[in-house]
Amino acid sequence: MTERILIKMQHVDKFFGTFQALKDINLEVSKGERVVVCGPSGSGKSTMIRCINRLEKHNAGQIIIDGKELTDQVADINAVRREVGMVFQSFNLFPHMTILKNLMLAQRLVRKIPKAQAQATAMEYLERVKIPEQADKYPIQLSGGQQQRVAIARALCMKPEIILFDEPTSALDPEMINEVLEVMTDLARDGMTMICVTHEMGFARSVADRVIFMDAGEIVEEAPPEAFFKAPKNERTKKFLSQILTH
Amino acid sequence: MDALTGWWDDFFWGSVVVGQVFLCSLVLMVIFGLIGAAAKLSNSVIAQKLASGYTIVFRGTPEILVILLLYFGSAIAITSIAQIFNPEIKFLDVPPFWAGTIAIALIVGSYATETFRGAFLGVNPGSIEAARALGMSTLQTFVYVRIPEMWRLALPAFGNHMLSLVKDTALISIIGLNETLFVAKQAIGTTGQPFVMYIVVGLIYLGFSTVITLTVMGLERYGQRHMRAHR
Amino acid sequence: MTFDVSLIVDALPKMLVGIGLTFQLLVLSAILGLILAIGLMLMRISGKWYLSWPAQVYIYVFRGTPILVQIFIVYYGFPQLGFIRDGVLWPLFRDPFGCAIVALTLNTGAYVSEILRGGVLGVDRGILEAGSALGLSVRQKFIYLTTPIAARLALPAYGNDIISLLKSTALASTITLADMTGIARTLVAQTYAPYEIFISLAIVYMILTWILQKSLGRVERYLGRYMQK
Repeated sequence: MTERILIKMQHVDKFFGTFQALKDINLEVSKGERVVVCGPSGSGKSTMIRCINRLEKHNAGQIIIDGKELTDQVADINAVRREVGMVFQSFNLFPHMTILKNLMLAQRLVRKIPKAQAQATAMEYLERVKIPEQADKYPIQLSGGQQQRVAIARALCMKPEIILFDEPTSALDPEMINEVLEVMTDLARDGMTMICVTHEMGFARSVADRVIFMDAGEIVEEAPPEAFFKAPKNERTKKFLSQILTH
Repeated sequence: MDALTGWWDDFFWGSVVVGQVFLCSLVLMVIFGLIGAAAKLSNSVIAQKLASGYTIVFRGTPEILVILLLYFGSAIAITSIAQIFNPEIKFLDVPPFWAGTIAIALIVGSYATETFRGAFLGVNPGSIEAARALGMSTLQTFVYVRIPEMWRLALPAFGNHMLSLVKDTALISIIGLNETLFVAKQAIGTTGQPFVMYIVVGLIYLGFSTVITLTVMGLERYGQRHMRAHR
Repeated sequence: MTFDVSLIVDALPKMLVGIGLTFQLLVLSAILGLILAIGLMLMRISGKWYLSWPAQVYIYVFRGTPILVQIFIVYYGFPQLGFIRDGVLWPLFRDPFGCAIVALTLNTGAYVSEILRGGVLGVDRGILEAGSALGLSVRQKFIYLTTPIAARLALPAYGNDIISLLKSTALASTITLADMTGIARTLVAQTYAPYEIFISLAIVYMILTWILQKSLGRVERYLGRYMQK
């Protein structure tokens, strides 16, 4: 059975001025796959996934989401964004809305779902991330870990085909990282397709189908977690792993 | 447009007056603002209350009213005082230049109080701690660490204060100061061309504003030269 | 030199007659100015040079010249122009009240548009990105995300501008309008008692300012209710 290829990036380049952030990126992600992307700062990991939902515009190559190519056409972009969810490092919850409203806004405005149904969906996913009692609070009243879980629920409410995680635990205090990773692991187990940029190697080991190592704008190595961590092939990969796994 | 011939001279000297008022009121404004800020930051409750009163009074009263009050009021006060010494004196005038300059300096100074106070408090406390830990005295810390940072923080708002001073100068024409708006009124009397004359006044003030704005921009750039990361 | 309290008691009610005019000037100019400011701000942030540029020039001119000069240009200067005298708006410009409203509106519009722009620019970019990632359109983001947050950010500065506007209404007295300051000046000319009259007038303005500040404080707290931990 050929799985549906959700994301296809072919020969993608991205420049910021004269600085080349992405060099000849080729990537395929199928439905149901869990991909983890790791690498040093400035390697282009965030830029790469931000190109997928066009928060950044790629300068060369093609990005094809579920068969449709990403272009400058507004209709295209919005169609993509409906199906591609994103969780940010700094949560980016809407501060002036309650948690419930945060989860309902896009459902009502983008998917035109009526209020009652949107609210039901919102409560369902709030329970899924285990904080239904926070529904009427404002983001500022929640801890970082809770806010990030709300952010995940917010992305889930749109029932996307795939979720992109951009360093979801990097801005969290250590004691809150686990609660978020647990939610992400549950999601993965339930079959959610995801691309996750993270430094959490434990998560990568237990959840990922594939681990990708990026450095200086290129994809250097790609392998299932066993092979990746036990027997990295590339020198740069080995160096990176030795740096982050020794302490 | 030929209505203007013969009046260029007067407008020029009127502009000079604007410049003079600006410079004098600028000095006074800074003094009033620093005193006010110091009072608000001090530990003395009386000083704080006085400074609060100062800002409340001068930020809550229309500028024109302050100018009128200072001008007519001080004339009466000075006349009364002079009459103690020489009962022959009927009326002593305070020059509109000084009544007006002090008035606008007091007004903008009340805003400057907040600006300087905010800038003082905005200095990174870590920098101060580091300076003291290195053994610098309170005075040295103040001069070498606090003031440069304060200056940079206060600059944008201070630029706005300077613009306020320039524009408030036009109000002093009401009490007879012969700056450009006053000149315009006279010109209109003889030429009957109000639109042209007032536009000229507007352009002159716009010129002053532009010079101030450009100067502040230049100073801001200079003050931030250490903030731009050079790769 | 004595302080004549009876003079104050006599003068105060007369000056307070002018408070109606003061309020009319304040409220009308504030509302019209806000509408103008929103328009200018949208032009400024539109990204299109033919909208942004004229807005910038307008703001620059009106913030760079004294409001008194602007009032004089409208009241004394416009009647000199043929197309104004013959135009359909002539009744507006012939009347000192109309001229005052026009000048105050044009002036406050310039200041407030920059204040609104500051609010809009102050909205955290991450929040807008989250909106984009969820599929919200540009218009939806502006209405549901930018506007509420920008309004809260802009409110303190906007409040200050309203108070400035109150003080600027006093300049209407220079074009024969009988607002509180206009009446006061007449009284001073009659009674030669500037202290009593001007000081009591100043106190009236200070009280009005205080009322405005308290009200604005209340609005600020309401808009910022989601900021309380």
